[in-house]
Amino acid sequence: MAVCIAVIAKENYPLYIRSVPVQNELKFHYTVHTSLDVVEEKISAVGKAMADQRELYLGLLYPTEDYKVYPSHMIIVYYTPVCMFFILIENILLYRHTRYGYVTNSKVKFVIVADSSNTSLRDNEIRSMFRKLHNSFTDVMCNPFYNPGDTIQSKAFDSMVSAMMVQAS
Amino acid sequence: MSIPDYMQCAEDHQTVLVVVQPVGIVPEDEFFRIYKRITSVAQVSIRDSQRNLYIRYRHHYLPENNEWGDFQTHRKVVGLISVTTCGSAKEWPQTSDRFHCQKDVFGATLYDSRLLVFGLQGEIAEQQRTDVAFYPSYDDCPDVEKRVEDFVESIFIVLESKRLDRATDKSGDKIPLLCVPFEKKDFVGLDTDSRHYKKRCQGRMRKHVGDLCLQAGMLQDALVHYHMAVELLRSVNDFLWLGAALEGLCSASVIFHYPGGTAGKASGREPSLAHGALTANGISADTSSEIGRAKNCLGPEDIIEKYKEAISYYGKYKNAGVIELEACVKAVRVLAIQKRAMEASEFLQNAVYINLGQLSEEEKIQRYSILSELYHLIGFHRKSAFFKRVAAMQCVAPTIPEPGWRACYKLLLETLSGYSLCLDPKDFSKGSHRGWAAVQVRLLHELVYASRRMGNPGLSVRHLSFLLQTMLDLLSDQEKKEVTQSLENYTSKCPGGMEVLTLPDGLKLPPVPLSKLPIVRSVKLLDLPVSLRPHKQKGLLENNMSSKSPFIYSPIIMHTRGEERTKKIEFRWVQGDVCEVQLMVYNPMPFELRVEHMGLLTSGVEFEALPAALSLPAESGLYPVTLVGVPRTAGNINISGYHTSVFGVTSDCLLDGLPSVRTSGCVVEVIPSLPRLQLSTSLPRSAHPLRPSKEELSSSVSVQLFNGETQQLTITLENIGSEDLETLEVTSKTCNTKEKLFGEFLSWDLEEAVSQLPLKPGQSVTLTVNVKVRLDFSGGENLLQDLNDDGISVTGLPISSPLRQVLKPRAETKPLGSESSKTDYNHVKTLEAVMTFKYSGGAGKMEGYYRDLSLGVHVDVEPSVFFTRVSTLPATRTRQCHLLLDVFNSTEHELMVSANNNQDLVLHPSECQRMAIQVAKFDFHTLPQPDQEAVRYTNPKLLEEERLHAQASMISSTLGITWNIISFDGEASVEGVLNQLVLEHLQLAPLQWDVVVNGKPCDCDIIADCKVGDAVPLEVKLTNRSKNAVGPFALTVVPFQDYQNGVQNYDLQDAVTFIGSNTFYIDMVKPTENSACMGALLFLYTGDFYLNIKFQDDSAGQGKELPPSWFGLPSVHIKALEAPIEAGA
Repeated sequence: MAVCIAVIAKENYPLYIRSVPVQNELKFHYTVHTSLDVVEEKISAVGKAMADQRELYLGLLYPTEDYKVYPSHMIIVYYTPVCMFFILIENILLYRHTRYGYVTNSKVKFVIVADSSNTSLRDNEIRSMFRKLHNSFTDVMCNPFYNPGDTIQSKAFDSMVSAMMVQAS
Repeated sequence: MSIPDYMQCAEDHQTVLVVVQPVGIVPEDEFFRIYKRITSVAQVSIRDSQRNLYIRYRHHYLPENNEWGDFQTHRKVVGLISVTTCGSAKEWPQTSDRFHCQKDVFGATLYDSRLLVFGLQGEIAEQQRTDVAFYPSYDDCPDVEKRVEDFVESIFIVLESKRLDRATDKSGDKIPLLCVPFEKKDFVGLDTDSRHYKKRCQGRMRKHVGDLCLQAGMLQDALVHYHMAVELLRSVNDFLWLGAALEGLCSASVIFHYPGGTAGKASGREPSLAHGALTANGISADTSSEIGRAKNCLGPEDIIEKYKEAISYYGKYKNAGVIELEACVKAVRVLAIQKRAMEASEFLQNAVYINLGQLSEEEKIQRYSILSELYHLIGFHRKSAFFKRVAAMQCVAPTIPEPGWRACYKLLLETLSGYSLCLDPKDFSKGSHRGWAAVQVRLLHELVYASRRMGNPGLSVRHLSFLLQTMLDLLSDQEKKEVTQSLENYTSKCPGGMEVLTLPDGLKLPPVPLSKLPIVRSVKLLDLPVSLRPHKQKGLLENNMSSKSPFIYSPIIMHTRGEERTKKIEFRWVQGDVCEVQLMVYNPMPFELRVEHMGLLTSGVEFEALPAALSLPAESGLYPVTLVGVPRTAGNINISGYHTSVFGVTSDCLLDGLPSVRTSGCVVEVIPSLPRLQLSTSLPRSAHPLRPSKEELSSSVSVQLFNGETQQLTITLENIGSEDLETLEVTSKTCNTKEKLFGEFLSWDLEEAVSQLPLKPGQSVTLTVNVKVRLDFSGGENLLQDLNDDGISVTGLPISSPLRQVLKPRAETKPLGSESSKTDYNHVKTLEAVMTFKYSGGAGKMEGYYRDLSLGVHVDVEPSVFFTRVSTLPATRTRQCHLLLDVFNSTEHELMVSANNNQDLVLHPSECQRMAIQVAKFDFHTLPQPDQEAVRYTNPKLLEEERLHAQASMISSTLGITWNIISFDGEASVEGVLNQLVLEHLQLAPLQWDVVVNGKPCDCDIIADCKVGDAVPLEVKLTNRSKNAVGPFALTVVPFQDYQNGVQNYDLQDAVTFIGSNTFYIDMVKPTENSACMGALLFLYTGDFYLNIKFQDDSAGQGKELPPSWFGLPSVHIKALEAPIEAGA
């Protein structure tokens, strides 16, 4: 089950990010943000000459081998005078999520965070999800009223992403 | 063993561990000074064996960790250096005891120890002891390094002996089993004689010897031993030790491949020396060993493989967590050198999830920091930032009794680069915000909060301002509200300013000008008000013309963006006068924004900005704000920016940094001060501005006058500036109006006012202006028929009739047709003129500047009298005539009209009466002729008009018609009324006839006397004033008698006789010449005779008829009297 789908611009800022537990969106911001390190590493690892034939699908960004689960829950309470923020930094340290990456030829990145407890997700499924995402993103870019670099507010894209999250579950 | 050493790296395997500790009371700073000197001896070259010994110093080491010394010998404390202070000999035994106690802690593993005693002097200090060194003070210990080197050499000797000892006893004695602390109980009761057990012992010992060889600088031997150990241990499935052997193999290979070290710090290792040590490692130096080493040594790929294997073996043991973690860290460092980030990240991932049991908070912080550093090392900056942030959060975790906000803040600052955030707002001014906004906002919030808890509200304010400035577009309305509220809270304690904040660790926080609160869209410098604008004297301006291009006009405009900003503005400001700059601002916030102390920032000229406070409604549209200030000196002023104070944060926003601001130039010239005049008038100010107000007026007055009235306007000019008024000029200009204006509208005498100059500040001068309105008095055609019923011929031949004065009160008999016709000529006309006062003085005058003050004069002209019709009647004298004027009173008052030499005429409202004025005919030739120059260049039509105008004004002034309504009086001019026909009649004929009887000029009403019987000479003189020659003419004199009863007797042959002919001939008379003909008459009887001079034009040949009016010959009346009889008597 995909829990978070993000589209990241060439300059590494989010064009679109959507997660299923909406109340903890910031957590996924951090998750996706840190995945970019690997994405960039993978992109740069492929030689420039090979860029044309390069596989767009980057595969697993952070593997989910049988690492031990870190036991301590870190719950940090963060106050400001006007409002109270509770940040839960249990986050990726608990490591239930798998991140998959995909990068278009124009260096726009897609990241899908999946719940690793769901083992039924195969590589093929992830690939097809990315393909669908890419097609939909292409449609967004074809919209003459869309300004490249702006955050994506397309309803069609949104519904496609929602469908993907529901369908995969 | 619970506490991992995160700083470990592969090379540490070849070091020996020496603990340096204070004994008793040693000042901390002194101890660390000595410690630093001791640690400088990190590498000692052993003289006779040419090997190198590396030493790792620790000032703190857990004895628990020491117990793992057999497992990996670099964990074993082999040397102890104690530092102590000893004031007197009395304390010595106690100090010595303490030293021995400390030795006992690590006793089992120590090879050697040293005590450094400071402060002790005397006989004890004189003793020569190898294990104790005495120094008089911490400052006076020159040979500490030497001592340490000796100490290290002694350690080497022990190490070498142990190595040889272990390496040689292969057979014979039973090999003891080496084990790690947690294994000890597992081996109780095991069969020590089994082959399996023996192999295990052998393998472990082999591995141990490998460690010792590595420490002793014998890399080759170490590799061989490790290989053997791996084989032995693999066969007995002793995984923990197999892991250790593999790691040893990796370490040795790393040391061989990367002599520079993997820790990334300049550790003082000398690669060449290390290599030298390898080649001279004592066994053999032949090529076979070289080949052997190459074979034994692992390749870079293999190192990682073996590390992986080792770590997986370690992972089988829960108690070896620290070993596993350290191995991971070491592997990561190696991979970082190999630049294999992906694999390194896998090792790190593993390290993250190694469970070390319950960690203290401090350990957690350390762990996250080191993870962050390692991620940084492999180039994963985001991961690094993430862990650093987690570490920062850990510093202030609620479980910690005293949260370390300072540390938290410092760690958070270090994460900035990972989130690609720079605290300099200038980086954000270029284009829109780019970056991961959500995490950046969060980080800034955390920075704000941490700095506040740290007790530094100044930093909080700076961070909050930065947040507001750079992330404004990304904040929701609710967030905006919260952020600004907390900003206000903070600034109440510590107002934000523009100074650079420097943190203790040297980081500088640049000031954050809040240029988005409010957002300024355009900056426009405003010209001074019209009346205060300075003007440059003409002539001085010309040399100012730029001669960049030889063309007067070129369609190619060379403009660059940069030039636009610095473009100088056309107008000028004046020193000492308030100047204005208009900003278009808007408030992007969802609530009212109060901006205080908004002022201008300038350069170039001393400028006194007068700050303004404003309040912008929520999400206002563009809103104009005018900022004012007074330049105090002259020169070029540059408006470089503006200053605001919002939410207690003062900011200086420079226009250079705001590319979105539109401006039409910011540099304006300030000229030296000029005087300032204030104008006040005796007339009320005009409510409505002048209609065609192309030029702006400083003020205007309006007045209502009857046509022909004159009004005095008193103008008071007061110098309200600070400079003396030195020159004053007054000009006026009548605005274009359709109305025909006669005479001068505005007239004044400046002499008196000028005599009062220079005018000091505060003084005033008055000027009187006469406003005279004389519009067209003609009443138009609609009234023409009114009085045109008496059949008087206007033209025609002379009628020698007595003076006729027609007074026909028509009003009552013929009321004016309709109301509509009345309004036609009753409507109010307006006249407008602009008076310009040009003045100058002070320093500005020296530079050639002056100021203009203009006063609009608006006059509503009400009609007074109208001349509805005009005609002439010939008078009895040929040189005179009657001018008949139909005068109409269009006012609602009784009106009295009078002419120069005539009686008054009273007119009731809307009454029309005829007025006759006897006037002498005019000789227009006496009028000045326009000079030839002007004639040549002007339109002949215009010339004609001018001539007519001159004639009309001459007539008008001669007539001098005035009217009087109650208390007003005025003049009336006939100028507009006179038409060509009337003018012709009023003009003297070009042929002037003079009839002289008896030497006496005759005219119609003059009776010439003569005596019967006497010859009466008759002379007829013709003066030609026309442009052409006239004549010849024939004149016939016919005498007759008028019986006054309509009978005229022409049969007078008996009574009058001519002497000579009764017909005269006049030859051709050239222009301006005259000609006369003489004759004589003889009256035979007394009586009244008339002479009718008939005239016959003989110039028929010329085909040109002269107008009959030219021949206005007077009829001559002669009275013949009885001659006194004297002679006859």
